[in-house]
Amino acid sequence: MPDKEILLRRLVIKAFHINEVEFGEENKVTAGGKMTVSKDIIEGLLKKYPLINKIDIQIIKPGDHDRWTNTMMDIIPVSTKVLGEIGEGITHTLTGVYVMLTGIDTNGKQTHEFGSSEGNLKDKLFLNRAGTPGDDDYIISFDITFEAGQGQERVGCTQGHDACDEFIQIFRNQMKKFHGDSCTERHTYYDKIRPGKKRVLILKQTAGQGAMYDTHLFGAEPSGSLGSRSIIDMGNMPVVVSPNEYRDGIIRSMQ
Amino acid sequence: MGIGPSTKETSLHHFRDPLLDVVSSDEDVDLMGIVLVGTPEDNVGKLLVGTRAAVIAESMRADGVICSTDGWGNSDVDFCNMVEQVGKRGMPVTGLHFSGECAKFVVLNEYLEGIIDICKGDGSESANVGENAVNAQEARRALVHLKVKMKQAEAAGKSWSK
Repeated sequence: MPDKEILLRRLVIKAFHINEVEFGEENKVTAGGKMTVSKDIIEGLLKKYPLINKIDIQIIKPGDHDRWTNTMMDIIPVSTKVLGEIGEGITHTLTGVYVMLTGIDTNGKQTHEFGSSEGNLKDKLFLNRAGTPGDDDYIISFDITFEAGQGQERVGCTQGHDACDEFIQIFRNQMKKFHGDSCTERHTYYDKIRPGKKRVLILKQTAGQGAMYDTHLFGAEPSGSLGSRSIIDMGNMPVVVSPNEYRDGIIRSMQ
Repeated sequence: MGIGPSTKETSLHHFRDPLLDVVSSDEDVDLMGIVLVGTPEDNVGKLLVGTRAAVIAESMRADGVICSTDGWGNSDVDFCNMVEQVGKRGMPVTGLHFSGECAKFVVLNEYLEGIIDICKGDGSESANVGENAVNAQEARRALVHLKVKMKQAEAAGKSWSK
């Protein structure tokens, strides 16, 4: 008779599918699957983040990928905590739409370290991977032009991620109020011990060398930049996280 | 964008990471956690952080370890050392790394034979975001390989747990 699993904590991720994204008078998302995007926030972000010269926001419809893109700094799910801390409780996330953060500076230098992905989006973005949107997903392009040279500096890059996170936070705040029963998918995960089974550990080596090669942890929101800590600032030393913390978006990829 | 856009793990990748899904859903193993370790610029730092990660694995009495990286080139120094440090401590180890044709290990050691190549294209760094990032099939191969190694260690009386 095998030993019984010991459940430590529960995480419920409720997904709300977005069917339609278009420009509107305000940034708004509904549990019913509609999202409107406004550029009104840009002016305020430019005042707050002095190392950013310009921001553009575009809606890329599914399949409409025959277009120029600057190098992709990150692709970010729109998720928020509704109950509990990261790794337990309830998280609301959107499916059908993801945010793509791209960057260049005023001199035309792409925000990259070694390899960059600027070019025609249909060639440079490989769809349907774990880390990329699918064929039927909308992409919200958040394209930053940094002040000269700042796309190569940690402070500049971090401001870019934070500005993008402030934009996402508008939707997160609305998603916190979504009625959980109206979700389109519900996934329940447990951190658990399986007594008597082989004990396995995953060691994940992550970016930690510089401006565009950084990993942030412990953001205020899932996959969030605001409130997070850089692994570089933590000396690149190993940090242990639980499976549920990991799958609840404890990492913001800053590379 | 960091080293190798095609292997880059975006925030979305981490949110729905195939390696975590595969290992955590396998009822034959008890996933203790995930250790995240950075990649310092200097060689002393590179050797230090991977060694500390291996010591954590030993302290947790891991029966087996899967090492994963989304970088290549100079970060191989970090990765190969980490794999070696785990192996040296007697723990079965496998892993995932982009090798292809252009990114063969720049350093080598005797513990690297269990590392799965995550290259899915023509062997080059295509710079297409997502193309060569770890998928579920590769994660399963790494786990199956680790299970074989753990079984061998147990048969040889080298496993920590019964």
